[in-house]
This record gives sequence, C-alpha cells and structure tokens, in this order.
Amino acid sequence: MNTTGGVPVGRWSNRLLRTLPREPSALLEQDLRQVSLTQGRVCFEAGKAIDQVYFPLTGMISLLVATGDGEMVETGTIGCEGAAGLQCGLGESYSYGLATVQIPGNFATITAKRFREVASSSLPIRDLIYRYTEILWSEAQQSAACNAVHAGSARLCRWLLRTADCIDSNVILLTQEYLADMLGVRRTTVTLLAQELQSRGAIRYTRGRIHILDRGALEARACECYQAIKQKNLLLDIGVNAHSG
Amino acid sequence: MPMYYFHLRDDQTVPDVDGTDLLNASEARDHAIGVARELMFRSEGMLDHNWALWKMSVHDNEGNELFSFRLTGPTDNE
Repeated sequence: MNTTGGVPVGRWSNRLLRTLPREPSALLEQDLRQVSLTQGRVCFEAGKAIDQVYFPLTGMISLLVATGDGEMVETGTIGCEGAAGLQCGLGESYSYGLATVQIPGNFATITAKRFREVASSSLPIRDLIYRYTEILWSEAQQSAACNAVHAGSARLCRWLLRTADCIDSNVILLTQEYLADMLGVRRTTVTLLAQELQSRGAIRYTRGRIHILDRGALEARACECYQAIKQKNLLLDIGVNAHSG
Repeated sequence: MPMYYFHLRDDQTVPDVDGTDLLNASEARDHAIGVARELMFRSEGMLDHNWALWKMSVHDNEGNELFSFRLTGPTDNE
C-alpha cells in the first residue's frame, strides 16, 4: 500500500481489509493508498457520486443527514471496523447524506472505479459489501430510534463507547461542538453531561479531549443501542470468517 | 458577545466549564430552558439526585448570578 503522509499504519488495522481472503485482498492491495485526513474533511457530499472508498485505519467517519435549517443528525459511524462508500463496488452510487471525517487519522483509500473493477471479479468482496451495507442500514435505524427516545446521558455514553470501538482507542479527540452536533443537543448540555461522567470517574474531560477511564461505568449508563450495534458488527465477523473458511 | 455559564446546583455543583457566547440575558434565559429540557428528557436526575432537587444557576463572565430556576421534573413531551 502506498503511503502519502502521516504515521504508516498497515491495512491490517482495518477489519474489512484484514478479513478478506488472500486473492481479493491482493487485488485491492495494488491500488490502495494511505492518506492522513483532518477533522471536518468531506468524503462525500449529499447527492454527489461516490468517487472513493475510505477504509479507516485510525480515524472515524460520520454519516450525517442535514435538515432544512442547517442542523446535522448523525445516522452512522465508520471506524476501523468498516468502510465508507463500499456500496459503489456494486455499481455507480450516489451518497444519500454527508460523510465527513469526525476523528482525524489515517485512511486507506481506493478509487470507486478501481474498486468496482475488483469487486466485479470477486465474490468475497461483493458478499462483504452486502453484509456491511446491511449493518450500516441497521445502525441508521437504531440511531433514529435512539435519538427519539433515549436520554442525553445514555446517548452520550453510547456514542463515546461506539467511537472508542471505531478508533480502537480510549482517547477521543473531539470538540464539544462536534459532539453536540452528533447528539443533536446544545453544547452546554454536553458539557454538563460530560462533567457528571467525570465526577463519577468514568471519563476525564478537557477541552477537545475525552479520555475514557472506566468502560464498565459507561456501559452501565449507555442505552441498549450500544450493545445492539456492537452485536450487529460481530455478525459481520462471523459471516466473513465463515466465507473465508 | 458576552459569555454566560449554566451551572447545575443542589448540595453539589456540576459546573459549566466552557460557557456560551450569547447576545444578551434574554437569549441566556432561552438557552437555559433549552438545556434544562435536553437534560431532563427521559431522565430521572443527575448524580443520583432527582431533578426536583437541582436548580440551574446562570452566571455572567464576572461570576455574578443573573437568575436561577428549579428543575421540576421530566419534560418528555416538550
């Protein structure tokens, strides 16, 4: 894999790339390149053609839907367990919403055109696309239900745990503004909820940096959506392993 | 724009360490009500204390309390 900047991180950091069988993996390897992307970088705009596939190695991408008055609602997160734009492997695709880099880091990318070519000749890759797209769809539905009925504190805990899983780290670099946007609440609300979690010893919070100290405490306070999404993702592992074997 | 701070208090304090830039005290009042609604949505309380025991205390940049109000209970339908 080519490296164009940042700390070199192998493709093995991404679960989808790691779990592909050797032959399709080798096909992708030739055209993957590694890039460092900063927070806020737009990967796809709503309604525009998907021209790249992004496999996060250390960062995270958020899928967002914008409302008419400019507010953003997060419908999915993609970290080192997944990929953004994978569906373009089945044919030319357009992004329904906005996809932006939420946590900066390293990403393996491949052009949509080349990814389509590789996918057209590889059943394991097409199978992976179907399975992973189903997971993202499930997450979007779970997020919609979560935003409608769960308390802010439970949603904050769910989001922190999910993000930590996505980037495989207990240190999350994120401003309060971003977090408030992701949860659909005011920044002050996030500050107060974060202060409560800090006083319980679950996190250490400073401006732009959240350190998870006690995952168990967060899991106890998170809504059931965290485990539901996690279980869905585990099903992908089972499917991939069955296919590989 | 002036900075306002929205602390939560009962026998302990949950501080708003960041503050928010707002146009005036009227906007601060609207903001405080909005934050209170978001906090109480489908929630019993904070730090194991019922919301009815808490009050929101709004301060200016010099630390003066401008106003405060009690959080009286869940506001699921608001």
